[in-house]
Amino acid sequence: MMPILSMIVLIPLIIAALILLTKTKEQARFLALTGTVIVLLLTVYMYFNFDSTIADNQFVEFIQWIPSLGISYHLGVDGISMPLILLNAIVLPLLIIFTWNDERKSPNKFYALILATEGAVIGVFTALDFFLFYVFWELTLIPLFFLVSIWGGPNKHHASIKFFIYTHVASLVMLLGIFGIYFAAWNLTGTPSMDIPYLLAQFQFIESGIAKDMIFLALLFGFIVKIPSFPFHSWLPDAYTEAPTAGSVLFVMLKIGGYGLFKIMLPILPFTASPNLMISIMAVLGSVSIIYGAFLALSQKDLKRMVAYSSVSHMGYVTLGAAGLVSLSVSGAMFQQFSHGLIMSVMFMSCGIINNATGTRIINDLGGLAQKMPKLAVIMVLAFMASLGLPGLSGFIAEVSVLAGAFVNLPAYVIIALMAIVITAAYHLWALQRAMFGVFNEKLGTVLDINGYQTFSMGVIAILILYFGLNPSPVLEMMLTSSEQIVSLMAAMGV
Amino acid sequence: MDLMLFAPEITLVLTGLAVLLIGLFLPTGSKNILGYLASLGILIALLFTVSSLGTQATAFYGTVSIDALSQFFKIVFLVVALLFAISGIKYTEGNSHTEEFFTLGIFATIGMMFVASANDLVVLFVAFELASLATYALAGFEKKNPRSLEAAMKYFIIGSLSAALLLFGISYIYGATGTTSIPAIAANMDVLVSSPMGLVAVVLLIAGFGFKIALVPFHMWAPDTYQGAPSVVSALLAAGSKKMGIVAAFKVFIVALIALQAEWQIAFAILAVITMTYGNIVALNQTSVKRMLAYSSLAQAGYISMAFVVLTPMALGGGILYALSHGFMKAGAFIATAAVVYMVLSENKDSTDPDHIDNFRGLGKRMPVTALSMTIFVFALAGIPLTAGYISKFVLFSSTIQAGFVWLAVIAILNSAISLYYYAKVVKYMYFLPTNSEKISEPLPYTIALIIAVIGVLVIGFWSEPFIYWSMEAAKVLLIPGGI
Repeated sequence: MMPILSMIVLIPLIIAALILLTKTKEQARFLALTGTVIVLLLTVYMYFNFDSTIADNQFVEFIQWIPSLGISYHLGVDGISMPLILLNAIVLPLLIIFTWNDERKSPNKFYALILATEGAVIGVFTALDFFLFYVFWELTLIPLFFLVSIWGGPNKHHASIKFFIYTHVASLVMLLGIFGIYFAAWNLTGTPSMDIPYLLAQFQFIESGIAKDMIFLALLFGFIVKIPSFPFHSWLPDAYTEAPTAGSVLFVMLKIGGYGLFKIMLPILPFTASPNLMISIMAVLGSVSIIYGAFLALSQKDLKRMVAYSSVSHMGYVTLGAAGLVSLSVSGAMFQQFSHGLIMSVMFMSCGIINNATGTRIINDLGGLAQKMPKLAVIMVLAFMASLGLPGLSGFIAEVSVLAGAFVNLPAYVIIALMAIVITAAYHLWALQRAMFGVFNEKLGTVLDINGYQTFSMGVIAILILYFGLNPSPVLEMMLTSSEQIVSLMAAMGV
Repeated sequence: MDLMLFAPEITLVLTGLAVLLIGLFLPTGSKNILGYLASLGILIALLFTVSSLGTQATAFYGTVSIDALSQFFKIVFLVVALLFAISGIKYTEGNSHTEEFFTLGIFATIGMMFVASANDLVVLFVAFELASLATYALAGFEKKNPRSLEAAMKYFIIGSLSAALLLFGISYIYGATGTTSIPAIAANMDVLVSSPMGLVAVVLLIAGFGFKIALVPFHMWAPDTYQGAPSVVSALLAAGSKKMGIVAAFKVFIVALIALQAEWQIAFAILAVITMTYGNIVALNQTSVKRMLAYSSLAQAGYISMAFVVLTPMALGGGILYALSHGFMKAGAFIATAAVVYMVLSENKDSTDPDHIDNFRGLGKRMPVTALSMTIFVFALAGIPLTAGYISKFVLFSSTIQAGFVWLAVIAILNSAISLYYYAKVVKYMYFLPTNSEKISEPLPYTIALIIAVIGVLVIGFWSEPFIYWSMEAAKVLLIPGGI
């Protein structure tokens, strides 16, 4: 059998290196598109050969790497990672098409960094060895840092450094957590191992309750900064806003924080010394993120910044859903990651287009754009409706599952989160009304609608938003299988 | 006694003398060949050493020992010397003192190798001085460059002072135990432990070695010397000579003075923390790349010193592995800088700041191989995964946690987070800042040296198993006294 996981991780990285050697924009974008399409085809092949009725890791590859430290090259996918790989594989080629005619300096480096990010992110989703996991985790940081700091907006230096320091410190804390679980298991069994499934299984045998809680919190910190969740979200608005459009979309694709919650945190949660405390921490962080992010979004003057804060709010559902600990809320949270990736891609693309066409993103300076940009208006309204949770679109399914599921165990937090729904609707509709509708602001000059490439890529994602809103089962099924397994573990421990 | 045990050293001595003698009869224009001869000699010595890995023997009445530790460090020194010699071929081009350059470099290497083998404090000291004297002269190799002379002067004065302190410390040990043999000292520690002499000896020795390893507050010479000395020599100093201080300190403290562990362990803990933090913070604001590398070298010495604090086999193995990785990374980074300096000087002879970071602008376009190698070296120094730097940090830091020194590991990890900032700055200058200058052809010897170093960094990073194995074997030598 061919090593399909290695291929989808390594092909983008190799192509990224090749792109660096190209001289012209045409060669660079062509290679980038080829690379992402190959990954998409391989992923689709993998998707159709994926057994969504079992929660085990599939397509496993295992090679000993550094036996004396228990490090191996271990890859696999399950119902948690498969949809996220699919999300990346679908959006990346469309992102390349979206940027097809853009003019920018050093296009070869630009596309190389995009491909490098793709390889690294898929690497995180497939790694089943903590060493490898950490390698890819850190690898996602570098290309994104450069994407922001080179092609970003006026405050790019501030934003990129802030992003870098925040997430780098978080990953180092996470590394401490990894060391903790690694050595605890080493002392217990006498053999070192970095294998994720093995270490997660060993976690329950650690004797010291304090050690278990510290490990859990260290890992949790690493993940929630990446998600990001209140109160560690402040890098996000800067980084998302200052990043070039492609960078913002890549940030949205970076679902590794939430992935860590499902893959690593939830399986060890019931064995911590105080599981109820941990659940409360996650639930508080989740529900506060939802409502706080919504309020912040409401007060933004810059359209892209508003979208960035709405992202904080939406990712709160992921944390809250994970803390809900019933199959419905956990799978809803997973689906929220998938759906949020699609919706936010379109929203950031819209922001980028408006900024290029009018030279401003300040909502009050815009107005009546729908008259001049009808195609953009249609797609953008659909994305905004999906984002505010209109039934029939993918965001609705995710958020309803989370809220309904989490209500069983965490009614108080859900009621808090419910209040945010009104605000969410308000800032979305208000921004749309001011920016797109009403009287056209003549000061903006000539405004051109989106070109064919942009229409295509945004249109395809919009259709997917609609499709998964009507029929989520192609990805929801495997999420349910995985979340049922996690939840059954909880139930067995009486949490 | 089997002379084959000393095949590497003998090869080097012969090479060094041959280079010196042949150089006398060659006109300046054809002295290039000396560099090739020196590189060949070092390469043969390196092959001899690698093939003797695993040998255990003592020689010269037990004053010199061949074991996993000595062979491992000899490999470190020989690798650095090889990089030094290959890049020196270009550096000394057209210089009438070429033979001195290579001979001094080779003799310094012999000194370092005997330090690694020394089983007796007198042998250790003599070898230490051999290496030091040769490097003093090398640091001042550019006789008409005031900076190079300042570097040599500063290095010489402080180096001599530290040698005096070292010898003074050794005299206390000899006075108390009546022997200079390292295993015998370990066996006769009662007098030193029960009298204040032991403490005095430890203080003097820490100061003496601290100068060589450049631990804060004994580091004052290092930035000036590394910056002023020719870059190729800085590579030898930072990557080779510093490791000599570390292996000597390993032998003296961990083998000979293990009974005084309580006294020196805490001192090293404080020195390690201060050194890594100071080095990283001061490096943040440097505009001279060599000075930045000098401060980063301080920080790295701080990390390696953690091995003295933790003292488990894994930590010592991590420290030893770190020494090897650092040899490749730091020597490589200095040689890449040397290539840039060479380029700047060949464009403008009177440039006063050839290693200023502005000269790295657009290097990715101007010197692609050098820029890519430099990127790999600085990322390795920062501990980016899949490089030698990462695996060494991984072993060293994780062993710190395993031994329960979580606070130390946290400080070290935060320090590596800080360091990424100034390393990334170099990459930013090389690849992302525009330049108007033309692409230039890269000098071949520098390129070859860089490629060797890159291969070293990546091979250790990817295929770490044998390197970890041998560094652990080397660590066992330290922890089982008399196990030779």
